[in-house]
Amino acid sequence: MSKHAKSSGDIRRGEPPLEFDLDRRSALRLFVGGVAAALTSCGKPPEEIVPYVQIPERETPGLPLQFATALPLAGYGRGVIVTSVEGRPIKVNGNPRHPASLGSTDLYGEAAILSLYDPDRSKAPYSSKRIQSWSSLEAALRPRLDRHRTKQGEGLALLTGRITSPTLLAQIEALTKAMPLMRWYRYEPVDDDAVRGGAMLAFGQAATMLPRFRDARVVLALDADPIGFGPEQVRFAREIIEARRPRAPDESLRLYAVEPDWSLTGALADHRLALQPERIRNVAIEIARTLGAGLEEPGLPEEASQFAKTVAADLSARRGAALVLAGPRQPADVQALCHWINAQLLGPADFIAPVDRVATGHSESLRSLASEVRVGGIETLIVIGANPIYDAPGDIGFGDTVARVPFAVHIGCYRDETAERCTWHAPLTHVLEGWSDIRSFDGTASIIQPLIRPLYDSRDVHQILAMLQGELSASSLDIVRNTWKTAGGNDWDGWWRQTLQDGVVPNTASGKISLPEPRLPQVAPAAPAENYTLILSPDPSLFDGSMANNAWLQECAKPFTRQVWGNALHLAEADAHDLGMTDGDVVQLKRGEATLEAAIFVRPGQATRVISTTLGYGRTHAGSIGSGVGFDIYRLRQADTPWLSANVTISKTGRRENLLRTQHFFELEGEAEELQPRLTLADFAKGNRGDFKLNAPDANLPTLYPAPQYDTYEWAMAIDVSACIGCNACVVACQAENNVPVVGPEEIANGRDMHWLRIDDYVVDGRPGFTPMPCMHCEHAPCEPVCPVAASIHDSEGLNLQVYNRCVGTRFCESNCPYKVRRFNFFGYADGQEYANLGAEITKAVFNPDVSVRSRGVMEKCTYCVQRISGARREAEKEGRNVREGEVVTACQAACPTQAINLGNLSDPKANIHSLRTDARSYALLGNLGTRPRTTYLAHVRNPNPDFGKARR
Amino acid sequence: MPQLFRPYADTVARSVLVAIVVVPVLGIAIAYWVSASEYTTGQSTFVDQPVPFSHAHHVGGLGLDCRYCHTGVEVSPVAGIPPTHTCMTCHSQLYTQAAMLAPVRESLANDRPIHWNKVNRLPDYVYFDHSIHVAKGIGCTTCHGSVASMPLMRQAAPLTMGWCLDCHRNPAPNIRPRSAMFDPSWNFPDDQAERGIILAHQYLHNKHLADCSVCHR
Repeated sequence: MSKHAKSSGDIRRGEPPLEFDLDRRSALRLFVGGVAAALTSCGKPPEEIVPYVQIPERETPGLPLQFATALPLAGYGRGVIVTSVEGRPIKVNGNPRHPASLGSTDLYGEAAILSLYDPDRSKAPYSSKRIQSWSSLEAALRPRLDRHRTKQGEGLALLTGRITSPTLLAQIEALTKAMPLMRWYRYEPVDDDAVRGGAMLAFGQAATMLPRFRDARVVLALDADPIGFGPEQVRFAREIIEARRPRAPDESLRLYAVEPDWSLTGALADHRLALQPERIRNVAIEIARTLGAGLEEPGLPEEASQFAKTVAADLSARRGAALVLAGPRQPADVQALCHWINAQLLGPADFIAPVDRVATGHSESLRSLASEVRVGGIETLIVIGANPIYDAPGDIGFGDTVARVPFAVHIGCYRDETAERCTWHAPLTHVLEGWSDIRSFDGTASIIQPLIRPLYDSRDVHQILAMLQGELSASSLDIVRNTWKTAGGNDWDGWWRQTLQDGVVPNTASGKISLPEPRLPQVAPAAPAENYTLILSPDPSLFDGSMANNAWLQECAKPFTRQVWGNALHLAEADAHDLGMTDGDVVQLKRGEATLEAAIFVRPGQATRVISTTLGYGRTHAGSIGSGVGFDIYRLRQADTPWLSANVTISKTGRRENLLRTQHFFELEGEAEELQPRLTLADFAKGNRGDFKLNAPDANLPTLYPAPQYDTYEWAMAIDVSACIGCNACVVACQAENNVPVVGPEEIANGRDMHWLRIDDYVVDGRPGFTPMPCMHCEHAPCEPVCPVAASIHDSEGLNLQVYNRCVGTRFCESNCPYKVRRFNFFGYADGQEYANLGAEITKAVFNPDVSVRSRGVMEKCTYCVQRISGARREAEKEGRNVREGEVVTACQAACPTQAINLGNLSDPKANIHSLRTDARSYALLGNLGTRPRTTYLAHVRNPNPDFGKARR
Repeated sequence: MPQLFRPYADTVARSVLVAIVVVPVLGIAIAYWVSASEYTTGQSTFVDQPVPFSHAHHVGGLGLDCRYCHTGVEVSPVAGIPPTHTCMTCHSQLYTQAAMLAPVRESLANDRPIHWNKVNRLPDYVYFDHSIHVAKGIGCTTCHGSVASMPLMRQAAPLTMGWCLDCHRNPAPNIRPRSAMFDPSWNFPDDQAERGIILAHQYLHNKHLADCSVCHR
């Protein structure tokens, strides 16, 4: 039997994976052998119990511990609380005290735990094509550093990503003080140069805007995606959804979006206009003109002009509660114009000094490093935690420059593209393995504490910096403690313990700064672009590509397209029609000299003459999961306008590629309007439900099932579709909590997928909307009567159970489930036939010990996190009480940034779940089937502007 | 023409007819007997241990409380095997040179844990929780047998699903007062039938102990 094909090269060849290569005779031989083995087998293999020698403080075997720490994304921290069992971290949860988490997580945070146990992580220093030791690196580095030190650091350069760690900044400062001529460069692929430049232009000084969405009633996002993927996502999404909770129409936040391609903000917006990125400035100008700016009249198409005028009227009417946001793709002058507009509107936003203190632009910094290298000014380059060979904009030509540096050291978690081109590579610890600190986007500092001792012979950044300073055996705990020595006051040890426990250093959020009146920039309107424009964004699954070797992220279906294991060029419907292209056609993309071939994907609702795609794919040295998946768009990226490249040409190659999408694997039967009913807030407030067909969850339809009798807890879930932004945090959280395996691209191509929770996209009137789909736990469950072995069965609390050790794999239940939430282990995805290297011994450490690892031939599905329910029930019973409201929180519920998911006990008359089920918006999905689902939904509500006529956009 | 059947053919035919009925019945009976036998369940078998620890001596003789070593039993799903340090609280003073205890001393000296062999084993898909049983009046000896009289540890119960379900369906005969939970010499009183029902009423709130999700998830 052949194992999984391991490299993506095999996918392209289209070999059928996982096939049996067995003729009749060998099958018979195996059968006889098996029978003989079974008859003579001697029972269970012996098992050992290995206790501690000395039990660690607070450890009780069998009970998990929780530790607060923080995880970086693009250099900014998000506070998390990590669950650890017997010293083994297994799950990331949000930290309610942290301003960038508020108790929730995002998919990158949830997936970080898998990266910790990634067998492809770098394990030892490497140079001259062989494994080396740290001491030989030190020996090679020391004479060079000594020489640089005597020359005040001349010829020495440091390249890092964005740094917000106070300790690391202090260390770099100390290093620069010792060697004033040393150069520090920093490059983060997800940059904010234009946003920064906009503030400089408007106020004459650097500042970061923090919108107060709670106070806003009208928000216009100009190519901005505040709820999109990034370090602010959780906080902004929570605030926007809070402000949008259905109330009276003028008390609820109305969201407008003008964007070239689909973003999460655009999907949520009440009105959305698709517009080429260059012409979005014209909308800003139009709005500024209605507020009295003396700017040239912009030319806009009739529809866009009307849109701008209506939005401008709405904004002006809500002065004091109106905000206009410009995204990082918009140039600095548009950003500055938006600041001016906000000042006129008295927009609810605070300004803080930038948390990232470096003023130089990211691409600019990298470019000056490249030119410095070219003139021979850099003799020693130390790259820490960055991967510029992969993620530098193509026009800088960084790959060739590094080769010219006589001595380049790369220190990173993986032996990646940059490591391959450097003289030396040395392993960096994972963020869960070492001490550090980090600031969030609003300046709040957190201490990063290790959850586990480094798995490999790696060192953390503070130890590396200490090594550069000449200290060889520095303890990063001491270095970090030293930074905060002056913070704690008298009882410093107590302060430190409390700070570690809270996960937030008190009073570190950046204070508001007062800024001068923004000046009105002279923004000239743009004419429509003649050629195609390429626009980029961070990937919804892989972000910037540094997490490409994470299989959970690779197999996480992207919003809108449901694409997994790859990226694609997105093209507007009209353009695809003009060019005669359909989904999967491979095209050649050309900008100047740079070319690239990639498959296209036709996207209704995208602006014409725009090609959009995401970063993060096409890695060559990511590891056995991430290498060779998708195409690398960094090669076509421009340093000057990193998020947008004008004048791109596109031509057909005639080849086709199979795009892997999970969209139609588990499609429900029905019209989108019925599966995701939508209401307008105005109708809803008047009690007028329009054509919203309410499928009451408790409707008593005629049935042959016996009437359910319940005398204990009755678990039920209510999901607010209005609050779902489609961010996938719940999907990955479920995967982490419930030991859900990945199946790999070959199996996806076969139409298989194991996610217990999926997010369905429904397009109504051209507007997408998201519905999370866990198991419905039907009271009259169609899956149950068809199971011949009673493996699908109800328990007395109303949970629809799947008993794995009974299941014989007939899959009758799957065929009979109208919601398509059951998943079958066609192979031992988690148990012996894992994709690529996920069967590695170290990766098993990520399993949650409270959940069975399912074997081949077994059906599985969402359990409402029955292990958490059982845990809470046992705790309650030990104390002789009932399970309290809020005591059971499912993994998806805990992760959800907008708190769209709620689990509750229907037998408790005071439980909040009752109000959610009796809400006027409540509906049961496919309720007309009489399944009496325990999972119900709250209908999607939009708050359209009545001036737009019928809300279609 | 010679006789087609010999005289014993009748006997053969009758035996075959009987065997058609008896063999399957017997086969099933034997299979059931084997599966429920101590050979299969592992009940009453002793397992070799690196140190021949005697519960009879420590519990029966010295009267140590179960929780002195099995510290997690009231709070955690697992009762816990004591760390080497627990052994050394006494054995740093007593029997310091005993050859039998060499592995314990080595464990402490080398900071290497002792590898004990598991005696009571449940399948991986069973999520057993000691703490809830202790909280609900199921004493240690109910499942683990009279450890106070076991020089070497053996599996005292069959640990089959049927055995678990017997009690989960009707716990009353096995419930003892909380005061006697860790008493190794506790015996059920003669009127346990009545007392058990009263205690079950006091202690148990979950009326659905035979639900699959109670043990499997």
